[in-house]
Amino acid sequence: MTAEEKMTTTTTQTAEETAARAVDNILTIRKLRTWFFTDLGISRALNGVDLDVPRGKVLGIVGESGCGKSVTSLSILRLVPRPGRIVSGEILLHRRRKAPDGTITEETIDLTKLHPQSPEMRAIRGAEIAMIFQEPMTSLNPCYTIGNQIMEAILLHQDVSKREAWELAGDMLEKVGMPNPRQVLLRYPHELSGGMRQRAMIAMALSCEPSILIADEPTTALDVTTEAQILDLMRDLQADIGMTIIYITHNLGVIAQMCDEVAVMYLGRVVERASVEDLFYNPRHPYTKALLDSIPHVGSRTKRRLASIRGVVPDPYATISGCPFHPRCDAYMPGKCDQLVPAPANVAPNHMVRCYLYSDEGEVENGG
Amino acid sequence: MTGYILRRLGYMAILIVLVAVVGFIIIELPPGSYLEVELDRIRALGGDINQAMIDALKQQYGVDQPLHIRFWKWLSGFVRGDFGLSFEYWTPVSKLIWLRLWYTIFTSLLTLVFQWVVAIFIGVYSATHRYSPLDYLFTVLQFIGLSVPAFLLALLLMVVVHRTLGWHVSGFNSPEFQDLPWNWAKIVDFAKHVWLPIVVVGANGTAWLSRVMRANLLDVLNMQYVQTARSKGVKENVVIWKHAVRNAIHPLIMVLGASLPAIISGQLIVGVVLNLPTVGPLYFRALMNQDMYLAASILMFLTFALLIGNLLADILLAIVDPRIRLGEG
Amino acid sequence: MTETAQVQGQERAEVWVEPISEVGQYSQWKLMRMRFARNKLAMIGSIGLLVLYIIVVLAPFLAPTDYMRQNADYVYGPPSKLTFRGPDGKLGLRLYTHPVTTVLDKETFRWMYMPDKTKFEPVVLFAKGDPYTLFGIIKSDIHLFGTRSGMRIYLLGADSLGRDMLARILMGGRISMTVGLLGVALTIVFGTIFGTASGYYGGFIDDMMQRLVELIQSFPTVPLWAALSAALPNISEEFTALDRYFLITLILSLVNWTGLARQLRAKVMAYNRADFTQAALAAGASDARIIFVHMMPNAASHIIVVAALSIPGMILGETSLSFLGLGILPPLVSWGALLRDAQNLNTVLMAPWLMIPGIAVIIAVLLFSFLGDGLRDAVDPYSI
Repeated sequence: MTAEEKMTTTTTQTAEETAARAVDNILTIRKLRTWFFTDLGISRALNGVDLDVPRGKVLGIVGESGCGKSVTSLSILRLVPRPGRIVSGEILLHRRRKAPDGTITEETIDLTKLHPQSPEMRAIRGAEIAMIFQEPMTSLNPCYTIGNQIMEAILLHQDVSKREAWELAGDMLEKVGMPNPRQVLLRYPHELSGGMRQRAMIAMALSCEPSILIADEPTTALDVTTEAQILDLMRDLQADIGMTIIYITHNLGVIAQMCDEVAVMYLGRVVERASVEDLFYNPRHPYTKALLDSIPHVGSRTKRRLASIRGVVPDPYATISGCPFHPRCDAYMPGKCDQLVPAPANVAPNHMVRCYLYSDEGEVENGG
Repeated sequence: MTGYILRRLGYMAILIVLVAVVGFIIIELPPGSYLEVELDRIRALGGDINQAMIDALKQQYGVDQPLHIRFWKWLSGFVRGDFGLSFEYWTPVSKLIWLRLWYTIFTSLLTLVFQWVVAIFIGVYSATHRYSPLDYLFTVLQFIGLSVPAFLLALLLMVVVHRTLGWHVSGFNSPEFQDLPWNWAKIVDFAKHVWLPIVVVGANGTAWLSRVMRANLLDVLNMQYVQTARSKGVKENVVIWKHAVRNAIHPLIMVLGASLPAIISGQLIVGVVLNLPTVGPLYFRALMNQDMYLAASILMFLTFALLIGNLLADILLAIVDPRIRLGEG
Repeated sequence: MTETAQVQGQERAEVWVEPISEVGQYSQWKLMRMRFARNKLAMIGSIGLLVLYIIVVLAPFLAPTDYMRQNADYVYGPPSKLTFRGPDGKLGLRLYTHPVTTVLDKETFRWMYMPDKTKFEPVVLFAKGDPYTLFGIIKSDIHLFGTRSGMRIYLLGADSLGRDMLARILMGGRISMTVGLLGVALTIVFGTIFGTASGYYGGFIDDMMQRLVELIQSFPTVPLWAALSAALPNISEEFTALDRYFLITLILSLVNWTGLARQLRAKVMAYNRADFTQAALAAGASDARIIFVHMMPNAASHIIVVAALSIPGMILGETSLSFLGLGILPPLVSWGALLRDAQNLNTVLMAPWLMIPGIAVIIAVLLFSFLGDGLRDAVDPYSI
């Protein structure tokens, strides 16, 4: 808490802000609902996400395909494509600004209140929150050179000349370990390998020194060696710049390697959140346990079959009463789990879980 | 890049030779010797032709000689700018067609520009406002635009303009300007006339291109790099025009090779209806009267223009798309 | 697929859980039929075309007079006035028309057609009129409607020789509506042979085919069609208008097949590398067997779509050629040939009904486009 106290001396914060947060969070998501209104019905991609993103840490978000990981990141950036929209909830960005006299002020912005197209939101995108996507093959525009695309980001958020922006872009490529950075500036995306493109993407994302980097499965499309290099790079840069990373993946191995804290998502909700050690050594939610059981362990003596989770993630258009995991849960308690969504309960300091095994409290859904 | 252009030029050379063969076949196709037919006609009309002249003509066109010699005579003449004689007008073809050819190509290019500009704007609007009332309206217009033959649209518009504005919109210039040298007043008068053939000929292609544009742009807007641009904080307008449209335009350039022949075809027919000083009326009249040197020369020049157009389209595509430029260069 | 599904990409596709559905067991063709039947425009297209074909087949019966029957007293005559108001001045269920007297306008020197509103001629169903033959065997002289006295009714006016436009449009439809079908049949034959040979054998054959296709495609279409049509002999005893019609169709498909050949070539090339071809080759199947048993059934839907999408172009091509006087020639009529009468502004201003064949063209082409688009969407919902 000493770090926190030191910080408050130089920070002007509203009283309730400080009271609400025991830990210094850079982003607070509360009861976020993002729904897609399609011809086939309403798809409740996010159905009440609560998430605290601690400043300067790496938060992993893990879950099966379709659990809402990507929609969460798009919601934060206000880039949810039609027919999806944020129905309710708030996304609070606690932004620190350094004044010319050296004092740091903090302000809180509710991103859900901003118009996605507004200048304020655009100023946040790229400058405050940057993102890298899972497909390095398609995430760079094939028509423009790497330098041109990085420069565009720099020119949008920094008051520099084109020449300076070009130089900065080159510096950035150097920082991400791109061989021949000055030449790569002139290259088109299709001339680079997948790993190189992802480095270029990272360089572009970091070019305006964002305080938050959202990485949406940035290594899924890469081979294992390249993946390891990219992960190393991101860790190094994180330590170096001190930014916050939200790392989205379905790969628990990567989580263990990269993250300080983990949130497990299932069907548009965070079902468990803990530090990496806690989550791996002491998982509480049946879903988390099942996920961890499904990882093969090298050198495990028994030749047991790899556990898999029963069933598949349900149709997102379906509404499931009670705990969304109960149809697949081994610990399913009829009459309880299928009634109300379990409320979040703290089973240990900084370890939240939503499950009736740990708390009897249910949550009445509002707006559901 | 140079290698790419050279290869294209090589292809084009082969095609030009083949086109020349087809042109010659078209001259030879009508039954009977064209010269005999024409001479008979002139005699029937009471025209006087002496034997020396006939022999000279026979010699020049090699009527009695074998096929390959006639082809060679014709081709070498063509290369030198002697395209043969129009028997109907009794004038060298070269004197008849130049001005009309330029008018044809110039208005075709104007039509192309019109098509592209309108099609891109409609396509972008439709793709970004999918399922909006205007999008539906454009879809209906596109279907109609694709099903109305150009000459019918020309007739309809001519009637409508005559009824409402009282203009008599045929030709490229009002009669009083016809023989004057070009000046500002004549250009204005030209503009007052030329819009009709441009709109009429372009309608069909505009409908088609705007559909292609809409579909392409919808595809591109789903691409990851569009999201990337948005995530950098780029303005939505810039995202669409700089990042999406630039990529959606490739297929449009690729179909340029197909839209040019359509414009030329439409141009020629509409030329007949609107009585334009293009090669259209001349060409179809020549075909009806079996004035084959004239017809074949026009067809060949139009085809050459198309070949050049395709070459330019290929080069343009290479410029716009770095993957082609660098992959092939 | 909706936008959400596309947006979420693979994620959503994996998640998709169909309740209990038999869709997975349906054959490819059944799925296409289902998609086609769900497409409203496609249904409008196919039903509309069915109706149009029935109409043109029954053309001589539906029209009150023979399409060749001239009437010197009704040159450029306007559509007949019909009224439900009988001689007693009351509205009734019976339809009447008035006899027409021809008056010369002394100022404009034009014939004016004045209906004599004092005389009434009842319109009757199944009236006797010009003899005709249906389907080549049924001889009859009964027409859907007409007058008992034999007085002519012009629902859509008359042309330059006083012939009934309705009868001419219906008969013209027989030509215009079959040019596309016949042309497409030829297109499929040429396109399939050339495309398959090109894609299957590759090498020299492929090179030759490709140059040929490029050559044909480098000409502007209508002028090339026109040049080829111009080379056809004049109509005579040996070379009838019908012969000319078949050759015109042949000329239209001569350009048209190149598109299909190109597409099919690409398909066949892809199939060459496909496992099922390799398996057939390994089993010692002959080229013919591989092409006809293994490749064609796979490409069939594609061939049909490309062919259907090319019908509008052929109809418009015939219309343009005939309009220019280089296509269908008398005594046959087609919509384009009819529009030839409407070539100049003054005629059109005087007798606007001469442009009605144009409406017929637009409707037919629209219906064929709906059908073609519907087929394409049914076969390949992801293409443009």
